[in-house]
Amino acid sequence: MSHVLAVNQLDVTLDNQSILNNISFSLSRGEILGLVGPSGCGKTTLLNTIAGFIAQQSGEIIIDGTSIDATNLLAPEKRHVGMIFQDYALFPHLTVRQNIAFGLKSLTKEQRIIRVDDLLALLKLEDYSERFPHQLSGGQQQRVAIARAIAPQPKLLLLDEPFSNIDARLRQALMLELRQLLKSLDMTAIFVTHNKDEVFTFADKMAVMSAGTILQFGSPSMLCQQPNSYQVADFLQLGSWLPCKVVEGQLITCISQFEISLPLERSQSSALLVKPQHLSIEANTNSKLCVSNISVTEQGFHYLLTSENDQDDLAIHQLSVYSEQVFTLGDKVAVEIKPHDYLIFATP
Amino acid sequence: MIKKIIGISALIATSFSTFASEVNVYSYRQAFLVEPLFNEFTKQTGVKVNVVFAKKGMAERLEREGEHSPADVLLTTDISRLIELQEKSLLQPVNSAVLEQAIPSQFQADDNTWFGLTTRVRNIYSAKRLGNVDINYEDLADVKYKGKICTRSGKHPYNVALVSSMIAEHGEAKTLEWLKGVKANLARKPQGNDRGQVQAIHQGLCDVSLGNSYYFGKMINNDKQKVWADGVNINFPNQANRGAHVNISGVGVAKYAPNKSSAIALIEFLASEQAQQMYAETNMEYPVRAGVKKSELVASWGEFKSDALPLETIAKHRKTALKLLDQAQFDL
Amino acid sequence: MIFGRTNKIWQSSSWIIALALLAPVLVMLASSIGHSGDTFSHLWQTVLPTYISNTIWLTFGVVALSLLFGVPAALLVSQTNLYSAKVLRWALLLPLAMPGYLVAYLYTDLFDYAGPVQRLLRELFGWQSPSDYWFFDIRTLSGATVILALVLFPYVYMLGRTALEQQDKSLLRAGRTLGLTARQSLIKIALPLARPAIMVAASLVMMETIADFATVQYFAVNTLTTAIYDTWLGYSDMAAANALASVLLLFVLFAVVAEQKSRAGQRHQSVRPNTSNDKLVLTRMQQLLAVSFCWVLVVLGFVLPFVLLAIMAIDYAQIDQLAKLGEIGLATIEVSAYAATIAVVISLTLALLNRFYPVRINSLPLQISGFGYAVPGTVLAMALMASFGPLDHWLNDIAVAINIEKPGLILSGTTFAIIFAFVVRFAAIANGTVNSGIAKIPHSIDKAPASLGIGLLSTIRQVHLPLLKSSILVAWLLVFVEAMKELPAVLLLRPFNFETLSTFIYQLISDEQLEQGAIGAIFIVLFGLIPIVWLNKDNQSS
Repeated sequence: MSHVLAVNQLDVTLDNQSILNNISFSLSRGEILGLVGPSGCGKTTLLNTIAGFIAQQSGEIIIDGTSIDATNLLAPEKRHVGMIFQDYALFPHLTVRQNIAFGLKSLTKEQRIIRVDDLLALLKLEDYSERFPHQLSGGQQQRVAIARAIAPQPKLLLLDEPFSNIDARLRQALMLELRQLLKSLDMTAIFVTHNKDEVFTFADKMAVMSAGTILQFGSPSMLCQQPNSYQVADFLQLGSWLPCKVVEGQLITCISQFEISLPLERSQSSALLVKPQHLSIEANTNSKLCVSNISVTEQGFHYLLTSENDQDDLAIHQLSVYSEQVFTLGDKVAVEIKPHDYLIFATP
Repeated sequence: MIKKIIGISALIATSFSTFASEVNVYSYRQAFLVEPLFNEFTKQTGVKVNVVFAKKGMAERLEREGEHSPADVLLTTDISRLIELQEKSLLQPVNSAVLEQAIPSQFQADDNTWFGLTTRVRNIYSAKRLGNVDINYEDLADVKYKGKICTRSGKHPYNVALVSSMIAEHGEAKTLEWLKGVKANLARKPQGNDRGQVQAIHQGLCDVSLGNSYYFGKMINNDKQKVWADGVNINFPNQANRGAHVNISGVGVAKYAPNKSSAIALIEFLASEQAQQMYAETNMEYPVRAGVKKSELVASWGEFKSDALPLETIAKHRKTALKLLDQAQFDL
Repeated sequence: MIFGRTNKIWQSSSWIIALALLAPVLVMLASSIGHSGDTFSHLWQTVLPTYISNTIWLTFGVVALSLLFGVPAALLVSQTNLYSAKVLRWALLLPLAMPGYLVAYLYTDLFDYAGPVQRLLRELFGWQSPSDYWFFDIRTLSGATVILALVLFPYVYMLGRTALEQQDKSLLRAGRTLGLTARQSLIKIALPLARPAIMVAASLVMMETIADFATVQYFAVNTLTTAIYDTWLGYSDMAAANALASVLLLFVLFAVVAEQKSRAGQRHQSVRPNTSNDKLVLTRMQQLLAVSFCWVLVVLGFVLPFVLLAIMAIDYAQIDQLAKLGEIGLATIEVSAYAATIAVVISLTLALLNRFYPVRINSLPLQISGFGYAVPGTVLAMALMASFGPLDHWLNDIAVAINIEKPGLILSGTTFAIIFAFVVRFAAIANGTVNSGIAKIPHSIDKAPASLGIGLLSTIRQVHLPLLKSSILVAWLLVFVEAMKELPAVLLLRPFNFETLSTFIYQLISDEQLEQGAIGAIFIVLFGLIPIVWLNKDNQSS
């Protein structure tokens, strides 16, 4: 399978500040990539660089076989890359129909009408074709933005936080709808978000970025199973952090001490990633952990546990545990870690 | 020390007269042109002269202000304005033996509401290169001046007054004919002011222009403009028949003048030999007062015959003149 | 409605203010009713058709040329890598500091047949008379059109550039991803989006042109305004003059309606101004053309006239005149500052009323208070006299009745009348500036303080006024400078011994002695520069 998009060792510097650093990844036809990371990590810059709005200093972007490097920058309009902007950037002076037809100037008039009608139908916008953007709801505006972006049949679709302006209740449905649409069109797409749940719902691949670099790239399940760093696991909120020390093959935390096979011998502080499913709790008046917060979930309760003595190096600040048992605030509880493949990371 | 002297002289001034300490003038003339005269008046009487200058709308302002108007004296540059003020009853009669004696009767209103202070001739300037010309206003419509005449807007009060005098002499139809003829002879459409036309002659754009007499003197006394004036002769038209058209600058006392006695004093001063002499010397105008010497320069232009047409007649034809100017599309 | 029912005191005072500002216009309309029609029909049969066609052509030409100058300049400065753009940004605003009548005087003097340019040409080539060569005639409709456009185009440039810079950059980017080149997306997206702002500017230019008299007079071009003066001064037919002025107002009404219509479409507000560096890169040839285009505008609209003035000032400087000029300058600043302050306070009162209680009836005071902008200064002065005259009489009658000393003409005979005239004439500028500043404040901010338990007046004081600081300042400065330049209204309304720099210069110009007043003219221009420098500073910081 050929790559629709390949990015090799991309560097971008703006105002003498390195924004993107050695970015490399590739996408096959029809794949949807979710780009996540904290604010300011460079994900929107990456999107804009691929679209052609920002020039790279070095590295290469190959879009469907066309190579673009720093000496040979291709104008945005020649890249055949569609984009959906965070606030949709619908042209306020044009109707829905005119907005969608905007990128279709190479078609004949008849072809254009047919294409726009198809898209209006596909996105259920037939009733709104003569309205102006300010007369539409947020969801409708997003559908117009999608229709406009895919109308010229771009090779790659870029979406900048496409769901951030959508009502939380509608978001899930819209994401599924859009994913189906993109899949049916076999459209390759990259979307940027700061919400990891959107990636799990929407994307085939995901990339976690931090400070201008891609920390990890892979399928969402792979990243969940095997995060390659503290930052990735932390950003994806895969579990709680248990401060730990590794001393002579022994993993020491404040609740337990057990042997591990990892050849780890770290001087710097580390943390053990514990997912809720690997924990069990029970009341124990001798425990040094107590319940500091309780919230209700569909299946029972979600407890946050905190060490009594928070001065200790290994003190636990917030350990997240799910249980059907009932505890009250301040109850002392003992926690047991079920054996599993332990994930230990150096804390930054 | 100086303050003391001023104080004492003010005291003296008040003790010797019943004048109010100030007098207010609405002036159609630029304030700086009449300031030297007013300063002299203040020096002699201690009465302060306040001036406001506007070329347009003074009559309306006075009318609106009515009995509360602070204006004492109206100073104009043209007979039509004086008659307008008179007709709107904005002036009051002044019975002053001094004025009766100083100003010839043809330069006074019958009802003593206004008084002429200076006269000015509507001259025809001609390029020196034409040599000596004997010219009548009527000749401006002659085809031999085709493309050779320059003038300011026909609607300017000085030109309107001239057209009025033509109507008085020739009647409406002939005057319209004349206006069309002059219009056809213009080197360029009416623009600028009287001095600008002399400049145009100097530059060779045209040969003949209309202009008031005193501008000639003022240009000669102006470093930049002297060369313009040097290129032209000043001609007094219609010397073989009715005489040159003459207009006046004049003055009147406002109907509701709060400082009437000062107002009369100011006018009497303006008609005095000293003031008339100043008018003649600094403004190059013809003093109305008999026996006052013209400035040497003005005198050098020679004696002339002026149109004996009563000034009221000129004012009477003003609206007709404007209509004819519109009909001839003189300014377009 | 955010704050429930309209505050009655606020609403009624707004209406009183607006009606007071509209009063002179109403008086003008009312006085036009009684005219006999004779003068009118005479004018109609003779010169009026030409005057009207001149007015239409002049207005059309000035607006068209202003757009032709201002729009490309705005595009070049805001959207391209134009060389010297940093300087041009503000330099293109400089012509605003030049009073139109001054530029007109200087240019007619310069390019006249008798002027230095043609004299030099004649000397160089040995031409003798006008028939020997062709030279454009400055004193024509086209001459007036070009010169007026040269001093008025900065309105188009300023509003256009601001609109372009504040556009959401993602809109342009969307155009690029949909296949438009950078230049195409400027033309197909940026310009249509900036159109409302450009229309506002065009209507300002239109109103200025229609109300202008002093400038076209130097070009010997007769317009409807000429007809007004003729009927009033020549034929002494005030009613007919007012009727003509009312016709003029119709033209203006047309401009205002057109402007508001176009503003209605101006809903898209960007939260992220276009500060990106994806500016259009010009080729060397384009760069050369663009740079010379912009600089020619700056030179013709400002540098050349200013240099002419400076030369005159140096040649004819009189030290003893400086003291007098200083005195006049101070008086000018004083009345202009009063007018600017009052106009800004009024515009805040009216615009905030409309903001907090957005019902139709509350938007009217804002609209009607701006009509005075299009009334020629002299006509306005006449109308003010007609309004204040009776009021003054009434006040004096009351004084007599209750046995106190008569106050005299406290309204029409004092600087009050001048300040009032300034406010009537320039309220539109203050309203527009303040109102567009208010429009930029998100509506949620209106509600936030209420949610924190803070009352409306405190909200305005603590939130809106600080946010509007720069708009208020710009409005103040614009009115201040316009007031300093205003001539005919002051000429007619001023009390004894009162001069502004404009009237002082005018006296000298009217006697062909501008040289003597050149320093005064430079004063006006320098004061006019202050808001420009400020506008620039303001834009750079935001």
